[in-house]
Amino acid sequence: MKFLGFIVVCLTGTLLLYGTGEFPDWGDPDSPASIHLSNYYIEKAVEETQVPNLVTAVLADYRGFDTMFETAVVFCAGLACFLLLRDFREKKERFYRHTPTRVILHVKDSKKVLKTGKEFEHMDKDWVPSDLIIRTVCRILIPFIQIYALYVVAHGDFSPGGGFQGGVIFGSSLILLAISYDLKTLVRRIKEKVLGIYAALGVLIYVGIGAICMAMGGNFLDYSKLVPIVPGDPHHIRALGMLGVEIGVGIAVTAAMVIIYINIVSEGKHDEGL
Amino acid sequence: MDHYPALIVIAPLLAALLAGLAVWIKERLSYSIALMGLGISTFSAFKVLMQVINFGTIQYKMAGWAPPMGIEYRIDLLNAMVLLLISSIAFLNLLASCKSVTQETSDRAGSFYTIYLLFVTGLLGVSATGDLFNLYVLIEITSLTSYAMVALGDRNRGPLASLNYVFIGVIGASFYLLGVGYLYLKTGSLNMVDVANILSGIQGSSTVLVAFILIMIGIWIKMALFPMHIWLPNAYSYSPVAFARVVAPLMTKVMVYVMIRLMITVFGFDYIFETLNLSDAVVWLGTIAILAGAVMALSQTNLKKMLTYIIVCEIGYMVGGAWLGNELGMTGAILHIFNDALMTFALFLAVGNMVYKLKTVELTDLKGLFGKMPWTMAGFVLAAFSIIGVPPTCGFFSKWYLILGAFEAGAYHFAAALIISSLICAVLFFKVFEICFFESMAHGHGDSHPPVEIREAPISMLIVSGFVSLSLIIVGLYSGTIVNTIILPFLK
Repeated sequence: MKFLGFIVVCLTGTLLLYGTGEFPDWGDPDSPASIHLSNYYIEKAVEETQVPNLVTAVLADYRGFDTMFETAVVFCAGLACFLLLRDFREKKERFYRHTPTRVILHVKDSKKVLKTGKEFEHMDKDWVPSDLIIRTVCRILIPFIQIYALYVVAHGDFSPGGGFQGGVIFGSSLILLAISYDLKTLVRRIKEKVLGIYAALGVLIYVGIGAICMAMGGNFLDYSKLVPIVPGDPHHIRALGMLGVEIGVGIAVTAAMVIIYINIVSEGKHDEGL
Repeated sequence: MDHYPALIVIAPLLAALLAGLAVWIKERLSYSIALMGLGISTFSAFKVLMQVINFGTIQYKMAGWAPPMGIEYRIDLLNAMVLLLISSIAFLNLLASCKSVTQETSDRAGSFYTIYLLFVTGLLGVSATGDLFNLYVLIEITSLTSYAMVALGDRNRGPLASLNYVFIGVIGASFYLLGVGYLYLKTGSLNMVDVANILSGIQGSSTVLVAFILIMIGIWIKMALFPMHIWLPNAYSYSPVAFARVVAPLMTKVMVYVMIRLMITVFGFDYIFETLNLSDAVVWLGTIAILAGAVMALSQTNLKKMLTYIIVCEIGYMVGGAWLGNELGMTGAILHIFNDALMTFALFLAVGNMVYKLKTVELTDLKGLFGKMPWTMAGFVLAAFSIIGVPPTCGFFSKWYLILGAFEAGAYHFAAALIISSLICAVLFFKVFEICFFESMAHGHGDSHPPVEIREAPISMLIVSGFVSLSLIIVGLYSGTIVNTIILPFLK
């Protein structure tokens, strides 16, 4: 079997090498890829969409339909993690911490449930006290990371960035919170339900903007038809439409990242540790 | 209203997201949302088919950009037929699935419907699009959702089957993407029609040849053509019944559609059959797939597994037929996409009813089933006859075209394989019938326990199953109409 695999790999390699034979030269300005469509985008994109960043114009407008499905892929990945890993079973044994004294109670009878509140709180076996220095540094860093994430989303039209990148940065700030404190701190701040709703809502904003364009009489995702309902300069309507979908992408990516993280690290149990 | 082409894909996508919201707010709503989404999609697909038959190919420019710059949906007779097939099968299956989803995945039914809708969206998008990269993105959505679904089924063996599927599926998708990359290097475009125009000037290029080989291998992996089929049997038999019933008839058939679309629209018959002259080699691949699939099906003791190997065998029919290089063979292959989707769907509906009552469908579990579930078995028998190719059912007609095409191309080995595999299918199904009819129901342990009473499946499942099985005969009787109004005008 290993030998067979080796032969297949060699054959594929030879095939790929054979294919490179007639590649255009490296950086050739006359290669088909740089004369056929690229010229059109370079000449017309800024004029047609009023967005100075050509990459964003192609990604969110000319080929916005692809990007919508890529957002759906991210949503789908988050949902798949939730669907497969989330463990709704009751825990067999529970641990509680008496907050004022930090004494830990181990309750083996699954039927006995302590009321949690000011005196007792849930915890689990993997819990480790978090480090003061790490906590403090992260507490200072997280707001700046989040501001930067918002900037990346909002500035996608003008500079490198956009919904995917901004969403990943925002999501990682939340994951940093879970790492530096513990998972429960994160889940307490942003409930699982909220994350689930945001993930779907983000993609829904994208598809919804497209559907509104359709309801206004244009083709799907044709932002120019949004002029009557969006205030502001009608010349910039395509840029505004792109900003709208980028915000949707950002929300969906953030939520999906966090869903994937919390379900994978806690094997779907959403324990306190980690 | 001329937005029907977009609505076919957008309606289930919107429904998927709303169902995803409903999971957290009111889970029971997700089922009705899903039904509504697929209902709208089926209606739009029907409207589009009528428009295409009456007025010819429809182009729909996404975001209003003209084709090579933007993404277009280009719907001709072939897509329109495949779109209607997908949306109606997905809709009917949803009608039949309410009970079995509650039985199998009660605590996450809402998420199940969300993933289900995304899967159907992916299939519809793959069939509607006229853009090579958009096709890839949607293949990705269908694959990702099916990986999740397979792992959700049998909680012991499903995850491993899913992991195998992930590895092989990702290789298939990367081959396709790499091929598209090579094409883009040579043409600078992603729109199918545009690429085809540019390709006709550079047919001798080795890069185009490699792109062609990579794309075809990628698609073959995704459709489980014989040596690349190993992911399919486990993946399909361990997934939840409600999903198996839609993935088994549709996923592989849609990939066959993609192959035919790329052959006709992008590369062109001249390139494939004259410049490269690959017909013989691939028809042999198809022949081997048919025989191997049939023989492997014969050795199975589980009904679900047996049916999955029959799918492998049927893929051989369609690949071989499409590559015969003549009109009759192509007609047979396209007609078989339609017929095979329907008959596999009918078979899996019947099997789904059995699973609902019996839990496992080892052949020995089926004893005395004719007495216990007469209606389910009636549907099963009809579908089985269609797979074997008994005349008034639709399976006969597509096989007839395929055999005629094989004779015209002089591929007698392919015709022989078709007939042999039909005989093997007959042996297989009569073995099942024998167990179900003649062997009496196994009694419980000792005589103290009364025999387990098994009654018919819920009425919703029976109605859908009966409807689809009867449609096999109706479609069979109207084969001539389908060929004359849809397939032949498309091939002209």
